[in-house]
Amino acid sequence: MSRVDDLPRRTRAQSGTLPPPRALPQSLAGNPALPYPAISQELSALRLQIPGVHGCVLGGVDGLLVTHNLQNGADPDDLAALAATMYGLGRQVGSRLGQGEFQQSTVRNAGGYLSVYAINGEALLAVIGTDSINVARLHLHAPTTAARLAELLDDVSPATS
Amino acid sequence: MGNLDIALKNAMNIDGAIGAALVDYTSGMTLGVAGGTGEIDLTVAAAGNTDVVRAKLRTIEMLKLDDEIEDILITLGSQYHLIRPLSNRTGKGLFLYLMVSKSRANLAMARHQLRTIEESLEL
Repeated sequence: MSRVDDLPRRTRAQSGTLPPPRALPQSLAGNPALPYPAISQELSALRLQIPGVHGCVLGGVDGLLVTHNLQNGADPDDLAALAATMYGLGRQVGSRLGQGEFQQSTVRNAGGYLSVYAINGEALLAVIGTDSINVARLHLHAPTTAARLAELLDDVSPATS
Repeated sequence: MGNLDIALKNAMNIDGAIGAALVDYTSGMTLGVAGGTGEIDLTVAAAGNTDVVRAKLRTIEMLKLDDEIEDILITLGSQYHLIRPLSNRTGKGLFLYLMVSKSRANLAMARHQLRTIEESLEL
C-alpha cells in the first residue's frame, strides 16, 4: 500500500554534468591601474564642498572596497559592503517597478546619514554625513562627483577588461 | 497639501514675484516650489539658502540673544530675496523663500503679504 517509492526523489548529480561556475567580471578592488590620486582628490573635494560630510567610500558593486577617505573610525570595508547591499535592494526595486537603473539611496538614522550613489555599472560612491548635513546640497553635488569618478574609472576599464 | 499649494500660489501673486518655495532647513529639501525660470532652479536656491538660515540661527545662539528670525532680506542688483521662517508649531524647521524683481516689486508690500501668507499657512 505504501506509495513512498512513487514520490519523486532527488538524485546526486554526476560530476561533469554540473553547470560551469558563473564567470564574474573582474573586481575593481585592488586594480593598480586606477588613477588613485585623482580619485582621492574628487573624494576630498566633495568632503570640503559640503560641511558635515565625515568621509566617502568608493566601492565596487561586488561589495569590495576600492578606496576611501574616512577619518571617523568607521570601517571602510564594512561600508563598501553595506553600500553594495543598498545598491542590490535599490536595483531590485528598480527592476520590479520598471523604474530603470539604480541612482541613489539614502538612509537616515538618529545620528546621521549614509547615501549611496551609482557611479557606473561597476562602482558605487557612499557618503557618510552628520545629522545636521544639508542633504539637498549633497544630492546636488554628489551626482556630479559620481559622474567625474565614472570618467576616471572608464578611462581605465577598457584596458584591463 | 492644498494649503501649501494655495500659499505658494498667493506668494506668486505678490507683485514682481519670480519664484517661491517652502523649504525644510534641517535637510535643505523643498516641500513645494512655484515659479522660477529656466536659469533659476529653486531647489538649488533652497539648498543654498538653508545654509544662510542655519548660519544666522547659529549666530543668534552664539550671541545668546534668545530670539528668533522674523525674516531675512537679501538685496541683489536686480532682485530682492525674502526668507521667512514659519513661526507656528506645525511649521517648525521650515522657511518660506520668495524672489521678487527689484524694479517691479514694492518691498514693504511684498514683506507684508509674505507675513500674511506665512501666518495663514497651516500644514
